[in-house]
Amino acid sequence: MLPMITTEAMSIDTNYAHPEALVSTAWVSEHLKDEGIRIIESNEDVLLYDMGHLPGAVHIDWQRDLQDHTIRDYIQPESFAALCSKNGITPDTTCVFYGDKSNWWSCYALWVFRLFGHDKVKVMDGGRDKWIAEGRPLTRELPHFTASSYPVPPVRRDAEIRAFYDDALAQSRSKLPLIDVRSPGEFNGQVTHMPEYPQEGVLRGGHIPGAHGVPWKQAVNADATFKSAAELQKIYQTDLGLKPDDEIVAYCRIGERSSHTWFVLNYLLGFKKVRNYDGSWTEWGNRVGAPIEKSL
Amino acid sequence: MGQQGGRPHREVALISESKSSRMSYPHKLSAIIELFAGLSDAEKRETLISYADQARLQEPKEGEHFDLEDVRKDEECTDTVAVFLRLDEKGGGHFRVTLGPQVQTLTRAMSSILCKGLDGITPADVLSIPADFVPKIVGAELVRLRSQTVYYLLTRMKGVAKVWLQRQRQSSLEKDDAVSE
Repeated sequence: MLPMITTEAMSIDTNYAHPEALVSTAWVSEHLKDEGIRIIESNEDVLLYDMGHLPGAVHIDWQRDLQDHTIRDYIQPESFAALCSKNGITPDTTCVFYGDKSNWWSCYALWVFRLFGHDKVKVMDGGRDKWIAEGRPLTRELPHFTASSYPVPPVRRDAEIRAFYDDALAQSRSKLPLIDVRSPGEFNGQVTHMPEYPQEGVLRGGHIPGAHGVPWKQAVNADATFKSAAELQKIYQTDLGLKPDDEIVAYCRIGERSSHTWFVLNYLLGFKKVRNYDGSWTEWGNRVGAPIEKSL
Repeated sequence: MGQQGGRPHREVALISESKSSRMSYPHKLSAIIELFAGLSDAEKRETLISYADQARLQEPKEGEHFDLEDVRKDEECTDTVAVFLRLDEKGGGHFRVTLGPQVQTLTRAMSSILCKGLDGITPADVLSIPADFVPKIVGAELVRLRSQTVYYLLTRMKGVAKVWLQRQRQSSLEKDDAVSE
């Protein structure tokens, strides 16, 4: 049986649309050993988990574990069930995600879990950096969980929270909200990837015509925690003019930063129709014939 | 990139001679490659972690002076990675590296490996080292998962070596011109 989660105890802004989707480092610290909770680390840095992780946390790598390695797509439901089983996760398990880079990849992993219908998900606010900054313990000891029985999800719910190229193109042509969450230099076409960062191999710079540039970073504080509900409302609703019932598509370069914004819009602001275009700029910027806008 | 002091002509000649020898890997790097060659992927990861743990040992020591330094910071993603190069009296290069706290573990590991493995070889030889040793060290899985990250620091070090060589050649040409005038 899960402990009662009170937002007050979590130090989480109760004005978020779904404050229960966010837990504090203090809350996680108190619930590391709870049955029914699985702590999941997902990082950009592929060896970071091995350098030390939260006690009892399992590692799910966005590429190794969540991607199909023969076609550009996510794993199939059978593989998702196997991944969960291996980590002792059942459909009733509450998965608490955390990681590096202000929780980019934890939001990405959470979003993939949602693709397979696993809805009991939370993010640890501030991620790995905040945990470490507070002097909380890390371990290199690998946890061992008895394999669980996780039924193969009947479908992958792409249509609900995932956008494809054609969806993004239709969004652009219909002048519906498209949010480009990359850095300003990537948005205006000056660069095709972040400075000093792995080049994912994109041939053209710029953005999808009509997209609004709202870098993901606007949604976080210096300590990697999410900004308050009021601050987020100002960014996305007051300044950008988005409405909770708008059909919104967010994208970045490969879908990780836009997962972060998807989490903000979906869980913290309560927008109901937000999709993440995971093909993002590496697909759009390479696609023959795809229209591109620059703002140099 | 900042540069301190100049290099005499003699070292340019040494670089030239050294390049003609066409060695594949310097012996210190070869020893590290051999160490990794016998390890499984899991053991490779453990060994990389050990090298990453030692990355701070490769930072500049107090009082050290460098011939070239390349410091770059990226607030959006990685972090500051500073590469320092010092040339000894025989033309051998010695790299030092400082890494910001957000720099990836693989880059930390590679900084340890490359500072040790490339120690004492000339900038020309640094440039001529084929990058194909990297997969032998980090293993096929990590190369597949993070294909660019694993080459990052080698690329930065080669960039520093290249700039140093270009400056030496330019300096050499200017001196030749002065003599002929």
